[in-house]
Amino acid sequence: MSNTLRPYLNAVRATLTAALTLENFSSQMVERHNKPEIEVGNSPEVLLKPLIVSRNESEKVLIEPSVNSIRLSIKIKQADEIEKILCHKFTRFMMMRAEGFVILRRKPLPGYDISFLITNFHSESMLKHKLVDFIIQFMEDVDKEISEMKLSLNARARIVAESYLSTVSCPI
Amino acid sequence: MSAPEVFQLSLGPLTGIAFSPDRSQVCVCPNSNEAQIYTRNGDSWDLTDTLAEHDKLITAIAWGPNTNRIVTCSQDRNAYVWTQTEQGWKPALVILKINRAATSVKWSPAENKFAVGSGSRVIAICHFDEENNWWTAKQIKKPLRSTVLSLDWHPNNYLLAAGTADGKVYVYSGYIKGLESKPEATIWGDRLPTGQLLAEFRSPNGGWIHDVAFSPSGDALAFVAHDSSVNIIYASGPNEPPAAHIVVKLPALPFTSLTWTSESSIVAAGHDCQPILFSGSSSGWSLSNSLDDPSSSGSKPLTPSATGVRSGGVGRLGNNEAFNMFKAADSKGQRSVSQPGAGGSSSTASTGLTQVGQDGLLLTVHQNTITHVEAYEWNQNGDVSKIFTAGRDGRLVIWPVTSGGSKGGLAGRMAGLQV
Amino acid sequence: MSEYAFRKINIDALEEEVLLPSDLYDPDPRGPDGVLSDAQRKSGEVRNLVSKGDIPGALNAILSEPPYGEGVDQAKDLTTSSLLLILNSTRAAEIPGILKALDQEQQDHLMAYIYKGMAAIGQGSDVSGSVLLNWHAQLTEVAGVGCIVRVMTDRRTL
Repeated sequence: MSNTLRPYLNAVRATLTAALTLENFSSQMVERHNKPEIEVGNSPEVLLKPLIVSRNESEKVLIEPSVNSIRLSIKIKQADEIEKILCHKFTRFMMMRAEGFVILRRKPLPGYDISFLITNFHSESMLKHKLVDFIIQFMEDVDKEISEMKLSLNARARIVAESYLSTVSCPI
Repeated sequence: MSAPEVFQLSLGPLTGIAFSPDRSQVCVCPNSNEAQIYTRNGDSWDLTDTLAEHDKLITAIAWGPNTNRIVTCSQDRNAYVWTQTEQGWKPALVILKINRAATSVKWSPAENKFAVGSGSRVIAICHFDEENNWWTAKQIKKPLRSTVLSLDWHPNNYLLAAGTADGKVYVYSGYIKGLESKPEATIWGDRLPTGQLLAEFRSPNGGWIHDVAFSPSGDALAFVAHDSSVNIIYASGPNEPPAAHIVVKLPALPFTSLTWTSESSIVAAGHDCQPILFSGSSSGWSLSNSLDDPSSSGSKPLTPSATGVRSGGVGRLGNNEAFNMFKAADSKGQRSVSQPGAGGSSSTASTGLTQVGQDGLLLTVHQNTITHVEAYEWNQNGDVSKIFTAGRDGRLVIWPVTSGGSKGGLAGRMAGLQV
Repeated sequence: MSEYAFRKINIDALEEEVLLPSDLYDPDPRGPDGVLSDAQRKSGEVRNLVSKGDIPGALNAILSEPPYGEGVDQAKDLTTSSLLLILNSTRAAEIPGILKALDQEQQDHLMAYIYKGMAAIGQGSDVSGSVLLNWHAQLTEVAGVGCIVRVMTDRRTL
């Protein structure tokens, strides 16, 4: 693990802990509704200032807190075209199955690769520090996952190329 | 110094809680549209009554200590006053005239009226209308511009404090003409028509106001805001700026509830999962200690440890080791193999990050945000000797308080801790 | 289609009682011009102090009464760039001592500027993420997560 990943994740952890102070809040705009205020966004007093934790221009986390929900968007490191494609496929795969991940948002925010939406109902039914741990774990793993996929993709490409070229190469 | 009593009343959050006058019963809402009344039976609580009339989440419950009436309010925009009869608890509808969720409710000290805060930017002060045989409301509207989150009555039965989501605290007159005799002037104001605004304050860093409370004498007002601050305001006289506005900013997460335990001490609790005692006077306030002691070994057992935990129907299985292991894995994602502690948890005590034990549970008694702190028992001096807290983890905890806030008592307590 | 356009009007925003973001904080009593001249004076002072190596003094100056709110963008930019200059020119070993000397208000402001600095990375800012992350970690250690909560709740954007 590189030496700046740890402080980056610690900063995300501290910010997320501070943001996950949610409560049940019934809409003051629509009668008998209870919606994540961060998605509705029309009551300025219940939205808090969004914070960005960033390591460099290609890796950052946006945390948007509100009274009953927070939205956390992650920009994942993408060094080249292959990583871009892999990252896109990987996050798309998960977001299409968002209901299985409970806190995953179906669409990322513009400029980010993947977004989570955590509401007070999640923080009531799950332990808060476990939620934070999950996000941090996810951020650690997603980088690893993508580099592994890139390695196996390159290995496959090499094998394919070898076996393809072996048929056309003339035996010496 | 006895240990706190811990009861698991529900697996989900307790959204409202109130004790009966003699403390033998407790009315809680287990995050649903029904309120449940439990009766104490030795070390456990038995469900005796269910108050079902609301059709959305109940947000607050208040139980009048003198008149033995319960009032519940809910996100369905209604409130009901429940009276005990021989056939059980009977509801009476309150004509609130609000069109958004009701968020909080408090009986006035004399219990001839109660106040309901709501999301429709209105406070309803309700009293019983003899002619029509129902509860009717007088509304306070100005200058509310956001959801009213918290309310508290002044001990004189006339003044009402309200905290809102836009970070304001207001002190109003809650006098109702024709219901009660004309109020006398107080330190907060001398002209008191209904709804008269007497004072207005703002949270120091703009957080919404989670809870407000008048001191036992009524001359000071405390509130906790979402900017992790505890504020105490001492009034100086009608139409004058307050004598002191003391702000204690915390390194930890915000508090959601507070209660005065004497004229010079406050207990507050919230997202940090532990009740914390503050003491001070008009010259300054400071944090004195946490009632919870996270340094003592691991997670605390529930008080009815031998009789099986009352936790929503699993009572018989409560002590089964395999069942507990499965429950832990299911509800908390916790495996039987020991996990490495969460990153950097050893040095986080002072910075307010919650400490996590080896078993993946918090080291505090409450495992999730505490949402209610209220007085449970008073000593002969009139100071609070025990408080209770309830939280999102479904636990009800009764804590002893070292009341009075005298330096000697506290120093003695601290010395005792070090032994 | 135009006859349906009225359906998209946000009628809640037209209500007289509506709460505007500007109602959530009190404006700076110095006024935009006073704020700007203050900021200019302070940034000069800071450059002076940094060149002398007096980091605590420089931080102290820049973190007291920083510009906030609407219409003072120039003063804000000046203050932010002076502050990032200070952060960049501090040796890592000195940070904890410097932070402990700040009062609570100043710690809150510093945290807000650290987040502002991080948000600006990749938009022409010359501060590296690792410097800011180091300051962030040290400040969280000293001032706690309560400090981060106050950055979120404070409507007086720096």
